[in-house]
Amino acid sequence: MTYLIFGNIAVWTGIGGYLFYLATVQKKLDLRVRQLEVSADEQ
Amino acid sequence: MSDNSIITRSIPALAITGAVGLVVAQYFIWVYAPVEATMGILQKIFYFHLPLAWWGLISFFVVFCSSLVFLISKNPFMDRLSQSAAEVGLLFSGLALATGTLWARAAWNIWWTWDPRLSTTLVMWFIYAGYLVLRQSIDNPHKMRAVCAVLGVVAFLNVPLVFLSARMWRSIHPAVFGSRGGGLEPEMMTTVLVCIAAWGILTAGILFYRVRQLDLKDRIRNLFIF
Repeated sequence: MTYLIFGNIAVWTGIGGYLFYLATVQKKLDLRVRQLEVSADEQ
Repeated sequence: MSDNSIITRSIPALAITGAVGLVVAQYFIWVYAPVEATMGILQKIFYFHLPLAWWGLISFFVVFCSSLVFLISKNPFMDRLSQSAAEVGLLFSGLALATGTLWARAAWNIWWTWDPRLSTTLVMWFIYAGYLVLRQSIDNPHKMRAVCAVLGVVAFLNVPLVFLSARMWRSIHPAVFGSRGGGLEPEMMTTVLVCIAAWGILTAGILFYRVRQLDLKDRIRNLFIF
C-alpha cells in the first residue's frame, strides 16, 4: 500500500510540476508581450 | 501559428476532456477494476505505469517524425513539435521508470535490475535528456535546429528496442499485450484502455499547448533579430 501511495505521489507531482513550469513560462511570455505592446504604444 | 489555428483552438477541448478522462479513469482504477489476487491493491500502479510508458514511447516517435520532416522542409513548427514531444516523452518515461521501480521493489524485492527492458528504457531516458540539454547548449538557432533534428532521428533507434526488449530477450518484465490472451481480466483490460485514452488526450493537450508556447517565444525572439 505504501508503494502505491508513493507511486501516486510521484506521478501527480511529476505532472503537476511540469504543468507549473509551463504556467510559469507562459506568465513570463505574457509579461514580455505586454511590455512590448506598451513600448510600441509609446513610440 | 495563428490564434485561430486548429492546434490553438483544440487546446481547451483537449485539456477539459483530458481532465475529465483522468477523473473517469480514477473511478475505473479504484472502483471498477478488481483487486489482483497475487499482487493485491499494489497492482493498481500498473494502470499509471503502462499508459505513461506507452505515451512516452509515442512522444518519442513524434520527435522522430517531426525531426525527419524538419530536415526535409526546414519548417520551424516541426522543430517546436520535436521539443514539445521530447519534453513530454522524457517526463512520461521518467514517471514510468519511477512507478516501475516501486513495482519492482514490491513484486521482485529489488529496486532495480539490469533487465533488457529496464536497461533500454534508462538508456532511452538519458538519450532524450541529452537531446533537451543540447537544445539549450547551442546559441545559433539554425544550427541548433539542424543538429537536434539529426539527433531526434538517430535517438529513435533505441525506442523499438525498448518496445521489443521484453519480447526478444529473456526478461522478467512482462509483455502485457504480447502474451497470449493478454493475461488480463476483461475488467482490467477495460480499465487499462480507459487509462490509455485519458492519458493520450492529456498528452495531446500538453503537446499542443507547449508548441503554441514555443511559437510565441520564437516570435518574440524574432522581433529582436534583424
